[in-house]
Amino acid sequence: MMFEFLDSLNAIELTPGMTLLSLFIGGLIMAVGLIIARTVKLLFTKYYAPKLSEDSAKNIGKLLYFGILIISFLVFTSSTGIDLSGLLVAGGIFGVVIGFATQSVVSNLISGIFLMIEKPAKQGDSIDLPDLNISGTLVDISTFSIRIRRFDGTIIRVPNESVFTTPIRSLTSSQVRRSEAIVGIAYKEDISKAITAMETEIMMTMPFVLSLPKPEFRIKELADSSVNIEILVWHPREDWGEVAPKLLKVVKKALDDNHIEIPFPQRVIWNGKE
Amino acid sequence: MDDSTTSPSFGVFDISDSFELNLPNNAIRLTKISENVFSYARKDSSGNITEKIIPSDKDTLRIEFAPIDALNYPAKRTNFMYLDFETPVFLSESAAAKIFVQCPIEMGIFIVNGTKKDSLDWFSCEPEKSRFGLYGSPDSGILCKYYKSHVVNSYDEHESFVNTVMQLNLQNQLGSGHSINKVVFPINENKLYYKDNHCKYDSLNAVLKKKLTVEVLDVEIQTIETDWTEAPPFEFSIPYKRIDMDVD
Repeated sequence: MMFEFLDSLNAIELTPGMTLLSLFIGGLIMAVGLIIARTVKLLFTKYYAPKLSEDSAKNIGKLLYFGILIISFLVFTSSTGIDLSGLLVAGGIFGVVIGFATQSVVSNLISGIFLMIEKPAKQGDSIDLPDLNISGTLVDISTFSIRIRRFDGTIIRVPNESVFTTPIRSLTSSQVRRSEAIVGIAYKEDISKAITAMETEIMMTMPFVLSLPKPEFRIKELADSSVNIEILVWHPREDWGEVAPKLLKVVKKALDDNHIEIPFPQRVIWNGKE
Repeated sequence: MDDSTTSPSFGVFDISDSFELNLPNNAIRLTKISENVFSYARKDSSGNITEKIIPSDKDTLRIEFAPIDALNYPAKRTNFMYLDFETPVFLSESAAAKIFVQCPIEMGIFIVNGTKKDSLDWFSCEPEKSRFGLYGSPDSGILCKYYKSHVVNSYDEHESFVNTVMQLNLQNQLGSGHSINKVVFPINENKLYYKDNHCKYDSLNAVLKKKLTVEVLDVEIQTIETDWTEAPPFEFSIPYKRIDMDVD
């Protein structure tokens, strides 16, 4: 019964060399290929992916899945007797047309591959793209674009090509980061006293500021109205939010408490008759 | 011990009604607020209050008050401790010495349930001295908890609930004299022991030696023999790699 059914399928010729039976077998091959691809991806995700970095695991998973599907497709075409040579010639011409039309897509794809190989940052890193004025946490690097969760909570998608050609500043590559602030004090004030006051207040009220390296104070500029002091403090990389936004507030309090003047911009005008 | 305002000391306490502990910069109060429900409150010197409600399956609540590694305030970021000696120790060629150095501690409150101990709260009795420091350069250095440590004469020279004393066994296997002015080590591997209001750490062996062609200070733990109670570890530890210290 079964053989008769298969014989009847084999008798129906769709195109020269291609019967309904070969198409049926090809479909089975594709279905089995799909099941194998999904199973392999599932096993990989369960047993091997946890040992790899998140983005590598994701990319290798995709590679395995689509690799098995492509092999299945090739087996399918050879089993059904489909001749791809004509398709290749047509595809060649069509490819040139498509190539021009999809230039940026291909560029993004190639850039994505190089980004995955080079790994300038990994998933979860805080990065800054100064040329694009984007900073945040890298969510993932995918085939055509990367996604960054900005510090305001929104997610921005950036094409791989733009990322590949722009400087990338990693904010989490070392265990500590430095934050800076500049404050101006009046010319009449004692600079050493001001520095001591600021250092004491920083060490008393900012527990995330490192004791070693110690906070550093540099005379940045003898400016028009004030002596500008640059304050440089180190802190654990995770705790930027506990230090940088609060630094100026702490410094101002220290100067206020010690009656050290932070001058307004001022200009002395001489009357020509005097 | 039961239902009382006690002079502070480490240990296990059964609470059936209320319990208070007055510590430097911190006051703790545990109260039974209804049947099988207790409240925990801690007030620090800045007036900040930490409160928790603790349901219990018994009439009484058993807690353990114990010293823990000073790694949690202001936030847990590292397992490494950087003890910076106020006075460096000089070891001449082939010399060995036993010294005692002060080491900071924090306080841990644990709920005891049979053999299981759950972390309820932790705090520092000297928060202004609980700081971070970097051992090495900013690009490749190791983030540590940093403490300016006094070299003392014995285990007794410490400030209760603020710091403790650790024995350091120093040895110089190098061909010349060297000063040692700091040790950096993963402190979570050292066990803490307590008795009344005293506590002490396992010792450290610090050996100045050559590894291949590099002179290093090799720091290893030396477990001590004691009948004091071993303090429970507090929550999780951060994965880390072993390091070799450079010789100054």
